[in-house]
Parts: sequence; structure tokens; C-alpha cells
Amino acid sequence: MAFFDVLMLGFSEALTPTNLLFCFIGALLGTLIGVLPGIGPTATVAILLPVTFFLPPLGALIMLAGIFYGAQYGGSTTAILVNLPGEASAVVTAIDGYQMARKGRAGAALAIAALGSFFAGTVATIGLAIAGPTLSSFALSFGPAEYVSLCIFGLLAATILAHGSVVKAIGMVCLGLVLGMVGIDVNSGSTRLTFGSTELYDGIDFVVIAVGLFGVAEIASNLEFKEARGVLQSTIGRLWPTRQEFKESWAAVLRGTAVGTILGVLPGGGATLSAFSAYSVEKKLSKTPEKFGHGAIAGVAGPEAANNAGAQSSFIPLLTLGIPSNSIMAMMLGAMTIHGITPGPSVIQNQPELFWGLVASMWLGNAMLLVINLPLIGIWVRLLKVPYRLLFPAILLFCCIGVYSVNNRGFDVALVILFGVLGYILRKAKCEAGPLLLGFVLGPLLETNLRRALLLSQGDPLVFVERPISAALLLVTAGMMLTLILPTIRRGRKEAFEASED
Amino acid sequence: MAGSSNLKRDYPDILAGAVMIGLGALGLWAGRDLRFGTGAAMGPGFLPDVLCGMLIAIGGYVLLKAFAKPSEAIGESNIKPLVILVVAIAGFAFLAEGFGFVVSTIWLLVIGSLADQDSRWKEIAISALLLTVFGAFVFIYGLGVQMPMLPF
Repeated sequence: MAFFDVLMLGFSEALTPTNLLFCFIGALLGTLIGVLPGIGPTATVAILLPVTFFLPPLGALIMLAGIFYGAQYGGSTTAILVNLPGEASAVVTAIDGYQMARKGRAGAALAIAALGSFFAGTVATIGLAIAGPTLSSFALSFGPAEYVSLCIFGLLAATILAHGSVVKAIGMVCLGLVLGMVGIDVNSGSTRLTFGSTELYDGIDFVVIAVGLFGVAEIASNLEFKEARGVLQSTIGRLWPTRQEFKESWAAVLRGTAVGTILGVLPGGGATLSAFSAYSVEKKLSKTPEKFGHGAIAGVAGPEAANNAGAQSSFIPLLTLGIPSNSIMAMMLGAMTIHGITPGPSVIQNQPELFWGLVASMWLGNAMLLVINLPLIGIWVRLLKVPYRLLFPAILLFCCIGVYSVNNRGFDVALVILFGVLGYILRKAKCEAGPLLLGFVLGPLLETNLRRALLLSQGDPLVFVERPISAALLLVTAGMMLTLILPTIRRGRKEAFEASED
Repeated sequence: MAGSSNLKRDYPDILAGAVMIGLGALGLWAGRDLRFGTGAAMGPGFLPDVLCGMLIAIGGYVLLKAFAKPSEAIGESNIKPLVILVVAIAGFAFLAEGFGFVVSTIWLLVIGSLADQDSRWKEIAISALLLTVFGAFVFIYGLGVQMPMLPF
């Protein structure tokens, strides 16, 4: 009965007119940026982060979450219709979805994608509702040593599951951790790494780094070359799938949901990894694997369900442990911090309306997305024609004003330039900025707990292996790092990511 | 570029290694006066020094490995848009507090729009005007961002 009570609490929070509005705005914005190539959910959340400062905490979180899962719906639309994935997670959808569109079955592909996403979103939301309280009550017993190990596990696992070189990603984590230490050290009161600038005493603002690395750097690389726009292949056709198409896709949706829900929880997981894994699962299990790449509907249904499930379930570690698993979750953490909420196990206990309101809004948002996407598909298709040169000045303005508004000073805007240039160089150097952001947000948590743990143990590092939970986490981390050295797994990982880069 | 030569050089990795070493060294230098402390009583410099050291070590490893990996070019680059964006944002940062929203935003939008090679003056004028009006209402009046509207 208690479960029912908290769920009612959640819905009563999520169903207030303002929160419904924020949910709708988030879902709509998410679809919009999902459809528009050249601007992704990470950049959008980064840009809108300062705006959420002016919103009530729950409304802000509801809106930012809506942007994330809304983008998963929107991204598939362009992938299917013009072979141009709006989001990285929709890249696999384009393979078979576009082929279906060429055969005049675009409508069915879009419908299966939307219905599969809705089903997956519902399941993953229930998963979050069940796993949340369980995991967080478990995490309440964590001491400093456990938190140190959890941070290390989260950061290293994220580098393994992320794209590209693990070594470079670990370097990025270190860089992020160092950046998180700029400012006055709370323990000793001495200023660290500020280069004598009083403006940096409070540290670098999270918004500055996020907007620089993901906003400005992204605009700069989008503008490097003339944009390539896909052409709408054919008419959308009848939306409702045939009986045969339903039969071929329902199992794929179920499997995709399972894959996405599980992979989304892992650090570094989330929508993109889930979609790619689901596609390979479908291809392996299919009786007709030769159909894949030529318009197999299972190749649309599985990944689409998976990316949406992954997007929802990646909230689990953030909301229960306070550990973000990817850069969007890092930004959600930033948004919570702006409002003075410390994400972690205590949120569910102390602010149940926040957790359950967000969970309930996710389900509502998914239902809204179904309406936003299917009947209104024509509008989104027309939006594809808006050229980037008209879009990016608006994005630029949002970036600058947003950053300025955090502390009402031009200094932060100037600092954005530094991170914009850094972000651009990192792109050229094929370094992911995501791990840097994770390091930056987890830095203070890691340092505080590391100091505390070692103070309590009087400098004895064995404390991390003597406590069972901490030892288990470190063991899993070490195991993961070891598997990377094994040649077969290394090759498998490389293949998986090379396939995803086409 | 690199593709035609027989030398084994992974240029993105060389860049990545150099950036990591450079930033790590910068961090060590900036934190040179901080007390290191001991494990049980860490000084403020403990973690920054350790992490910068790790950053340099990882950077060094990436850099050295880059000379043994198959050749890879950095890929075509066009830094003109980035330079224009930097100028536009720097102007905004400098103008915002003293000259107000209207001046700084028009600077940002007009200069920033030039970053696209397809930009047209007529479009820039219209979009700058619309966005300035929109921004003034939403940000300054609506959200109450603390920025003067005009220079006087």
C-alpha cells in the first residue's frame, strides 16, 4: 500500500498545472531538438541549465528530464524519414528505418518506434519507481570509504562504456577532477589553482563548463563545413502497422526494453549504448538476419525501445546514489545543486515529492510524446527545413545570457570562451568531453569523502578494502579494467564502437 | 597529410597527449605553493598534485603510443567559425555589464552570425532584431536577469 501512496503523491505533484506545463515544454523541446540535426540533448540541457535557476526545483527537473527522453523520440523521426539521425542514439534506427521509408513504410516505422518507445518508457519508469527506494535505503548505510569506491567505480566504468579510447577518457576524468578543485578549499581555507583571480574563489561554475564544452564547441564544429541536409524520400504512408509488422516487432520491443533498462543503469550507459546493443541482439536472434539493413522492422523496434528505456533508467543511479552515469545526468546533478538539493539516497526520504513527482512526470511525458509525435508528425517534418544559420544565433544568445545570469557578471561569459576553445581542441583530439564533466561534478564528493575516510583510518589506505561494500565495488572496477587488457574483449568493444561510428 | 607518409603517427592522440601534459603542468605550477600534507591529514595541494601528476603520466603514455599507432590525420579543420565566435562572445562578456543588454546582444548576434559562411546581411539584420526584442522581454523583463538594458 505504501507504494501506492507514494505513487499518488507523485502524480498529485506532477499533475499540477505548472508541472504539467513544464513537462509538456520539456517533451516538446526535446522532440524539436531531436528532429533538428546539429543540436543535441546534451547541448540543450547545458544551455537551458541557467534558465532553470528561475524555476521551482521540481519544475526544472521535470523539464530537463523531458528534454532528454523527448529527444529520443524526435531523433528517430529524422533517422527514419531522411536517413539523418537527429541524435547519436538514433543512428541505428536509420539503418533499417530509412530502408522502410524507401519502401513506403515510413509510417509504420514511425508508429512502431513511437509505440515501442512508449512501452519501454513505461517499463523503465516502473523500474525506477521500484529500484529507487530499494537502492537508496541500501545506500544510506554508505560511509566515506564506500562513497570513494563508488565514485571511482562510477568514473572508471563510465570511461570504459563511453566511446573511444579508455586511456584518454581517464585523462579527461582527471582533468575534470582538477577543474573541480579550483577555488577555496573548504578544509584549509587556502585558495587553489585560481591564478590569483578573486572571481575564481567560488570555483568554476558548472554552467560555464557545460555551456563551453557542449554549447560553444558544438556550434563551432557544426559551422566548420557547409551543412548537409537529407532529402525527404517519400510520403510517410499509412501510420498503422500491418498485423505482420506487429508480429515481427513485439518481441523486439520487449527485448529492447530489457536491454535498455539494464544498460541505462550502468555508468557510461544510457540511450546510445542501449540502442546499439539492442540492434546487435536483434540481428543475432533473428531467423532472417539477412533482412537487417534492408528494412527489417525488428531493427527499428528493438533499438528504439532500448534507447528510450536507457534514457529513463539512467536516472536510477543519479536519484538513488547521487552518481551521474553520463553527461546529461551530470547536468541534472548540476541543476539539483543550483536549487540546493544534494542528489543521493536522502532525496527519496527527505523530499519524496521531488523523486516521485519526477517519476510520475516521466510517465506523463512519455504519454504526451506519443501525441506530440504521431499525429503531429507533419509539423516536425516541415521543421527539418529550417537552416542552421538561422538557429545558431539564438543558441548563442541563450548560451551567453544564461551564463551571465548565474552570477550576473561578464567574467563567466569570458570563461566560457576558454572552455569553448578547449572543447573544440578536445574534439579534434578525439577526446570525449563527457568524462571530464563527470569528473568535475564528482570531484568535490570524491575529495571530501577521501579525506574523511583517510582521517578516520588515520591514513591507512586499507580501509577501502576492509569494508565489504567498498571492497566489492573496487573489485568490480578492477575486474572491468582487467577485461580491457584481454585481447578478445578489446576487439569486441572496438568492433561495437566502429560499427556505431558509420 | 599524414595518410600518405609511411610514418606511424596518430595526430589526434599526439594533440590529446600534448593537451593533457600541458594542462597537468599548468595545474602543478598553479598549485606549487599549496601544502601537500600526508594521507591522514591531506593538505590542500594533495589531490591537485596527485591528479595533475596522473594527467601528465596519462598524457605522456598517449603521446608515446601515438608514434606506434597507424597513421591518422586530425581531419579537415576550419577554425574561422571558432575565431569569429570567440570574438563575438568576448565582446558580449566585455559589453554586458557596462553597456547593457541591447548593445551587447546586437554585437553578439551580428558578429556571431558571420561565423556561418552562408550568412546574408538581410537575414542577420532581421534575426538580430527579433532575437534582441525577444531576449529583452524573456530574459530582462520576464526572468529578471540583472543586466542594464541600455548604456545610460
